[in-house]
Amino acid sequence: MDLSQYAELFLAESREHLSACNQLLLEWERSPANLAPVGGLFRAVHTVKGMAATMGYARVTELAHRAENLLDLLRRGGRPATDEVLQLLFRARDALEQAVELSVVGREDEIDVAEVVADLDGAAAQLGRGGEGGGGIGARTTPVPAPAPAVETPATAGRLVQVTLRAEAPLKGGRALLAIKKAQAVGPVRAVTPPESAFEADEFDGRFSFRIGGGAGVAEIERAVRAAGDVEHVTVGGEERRAAPGAGGPSAAPETKSRHIRVDLGRLDSLMDLIGELVTVRGRLNDLAAYARDPAIDDVAIQVSRLSRELQAEIIQARMTPVWQVFDRFPRLVRDLARELGKQVAFRVEGKEIELDRAILDELGDPLLHLLRNAVDHGVEPLAERRRRGKKPEAEIVLAAVRERASVAISVSDDGRGIDRKKILERAKRDGVVDPHAEALTDDQLLRVLARPGFSTAEAVTSVSGRGVGIDVAVTRIRALGGSIDIRSEEGKGTTFVMRLPVTLAIVRALIAGVGAERYALPLTYVAETVEFGVQATTIVEGREAIVLRDRVVPLVHLRRLLGVSGDAPTRCPIIVLEMGERTSGIVVDGMLGQQEIVVKGFDAPHGTLPVFSGATIMGDGVPALILDAGGLL
Amino acid sequence: MSHTVLVCDDAIFMRTMISDILAQAGFEVVGEAETGSQAVEKYRQLKPDLVTMDIVMPDMGGIDAVREIVKHDPDAKILMCSAMGQQALVVEAIQAGAKDFVVKPFQPSRVLEAVQRVLG
Repeated sequence: MDLSQYAELFLAESREHLSACNQLLLEWERSPANLAPVGGLFRAVHTVKGMAATMGYARVTELAHRAENLLDLLRRGGRPATDEVLQLLFRARDALEQAVELSVVGREDEIDVAEVVADLDGAAAQLGRGGEGGGGIGARTTPVPAPAPAVETPATAGRLVQVTLRAEAPLKGGRALLAIKKAQAVGPVRAVTPPESAFEADEFDGRFSFRIGGGAGVAEIERAVRAAGDVEHVTVGGEERRAAPGAGGPSAAPETKSRHIRVDLGRLDSLMDLIGELVTVRGRLNDLAAYARDPAIDDVAIQVSRLSRELQAEIIQARMTPVWQVFDRFPRLVRDLARELGKQVAFRVEGKEIELDRAILDELGDPLLHLLRNAVDHGVEPLAERRRRGKKPEAEIVLAAVRERASVAISVSDDGRGIDRKKILERAKRDGVVDPHAEALTDDQLLRVLARPGFSTAEAVTSVSGRGVGIDVAVTRIRALGGSIDIRSEEGKGTTFVMRLPVTLAIVRALIAGVGAERYALPLTYVAETVEFGVQATTIVEGREAIVLRDRVVPLVHLRRLLGVSGDAPTRCPIIVLEMGERTSGIVVDGMLGQQEIVVKGFDAPHGTLPVFSGATIMGDGVPALILDAGGLL
Repeated sequence: MSHTVLVCDDAIFMRTMISDILAQAGFEVVGEAETGSQAVEKYRQLKPDLVTMDIVMPDMGGIDAVREIVKHDPDAKILMCSAMGQQALVVEAIQAGAKDFVVKPFQPSRVLEAVQRVLG
């Protein structure tokens, strides 16, 4: 059969199991005396072995088999894991992962597992010598076959049946036992040689005999024995018969049943693009229907709208992926890094089940990696420093996902030393990022300084404040996804980065606002409300025009001024209040033209463009409009 | 009427492959189970003509599941799915009441042979 069709499934499921192995190993490492994770490890490795053997990946199978051996011994031994064994198992897991990945892409011959295999075998041998728990799989202690019962049964008490199983038959003991069970159905069986206990040993060579009583004829007995399968020869009462060729191959049935299909991601992407175009056309149809005032056209427009909305929801749902698919590799990473740096870190992951569009999730790995690495390397103090500050030696790092309205907030927090604002402030002044007379940095300013490209690599900063490495990368990446990033840091207590991301990228609901002759789309993700300018009293706070909304100061941004549109704004115009975490801003536009779904298209901003656009979209009438970036406006 | 089958294995990969092999040979896979206890429960619900049973599964292993199923239905036709090196476990499963076994890696022809033997 064609195995390649199963390769992807094999890969996906192996990855899941290997990821589970990581979690289990970490759990075991935290409390080596607790053997609960071992059973799970054994099963995961065993499953990978079975799948790899089926795919014909010999090296993966071998490696998994050896690891399984060791795990089986550990499971039976019931002793706490030594650090040496744990590190070996981590290594074996990594080697297994690599072997799986290489096998699937046909590069199996590049896999070198000899060293790990040797170490696994060495560890297994050492444990085996310890005596506890007996042999592992494949190394089970062979029960010494007891001599055949001395009681000589008279020949008349039954026919002697001698059986030889096919040489290539796997697990011959099981097959022999089946043959005996089948024989028992036609007559009482006695004097099984070797005794049934020997069937459990791997050394059993597939030759056995027994006596069968009752009145069954030779042909009947032989048929019964052969029904067990894998029988090469049967001799009943001295009469030998050759085995008939095995039962025929699979009876071909033309109908194939399958309940799951796996779909290439690229196909989901292009489906999404097509839906996007459909949504655009739908907008046009709605405009035309409104213009035509024909009930029949209206009716069709409404139906098309409903159907395309459902279709769109289905496709978006099909693209949704739980964040654990990216998060699951981090516990291991944090552990490895902490170990390397000689720090103690308890790492917690929350909100694993929260879902995000696959395309967004795929982009999150790197930014999160940067933030976590920073947290362990620079956020968490060395042990001595923590002790001096009266903190518990084990630092805590939390990676959490939370659903907020139409966005998902993902945070990375540590309880480390926090950012040294004084040092950053000095540096920021020198670079002219802040007013030379500024006395403190707000969180926003702090982030702005840290996110400056190049700032991160400055040695003075990384070694003193310890922050900045890769932050610019993270900020850029998150912004490009239409998200935002915030920082909260308190000296001596820790730092938290919060990223807010739209749940899906491709199609979003947006407010359409008019400024001058142009239309702009503002995704609803961060829109809190709209109020009217000219009705609300404005005030000046910290040199900026603002309104006070339920005791909150909302600074205003006049889009007309920002975009350099000439002419006067209407005296009364709407203010769109944006809210992103704790930041708010009121965007003053000329007019509101309604809400609609827009298809987000990538947008290569010409150099010098204001950093307030995140993309472009095509409106129902075919005219393009720019999409405003809430993050940039705040 | 085609025979009904319950496929028990903790790996989707294995379930898919066994289901495909059986479906192509005209069997009707009426259910799948990921654990031994699920297998017992689904057997009671579905009363399939045949069960394929993995030995190593979380929660309740395949052999215990065989015991449970056979306790309620001594005629249950259970085909064990085992791996190389599981001789002792296979022997135990047969003693528990399994009717036959196949060994991974699966070859469709061998799986179908075993199925035919079990269904007799």
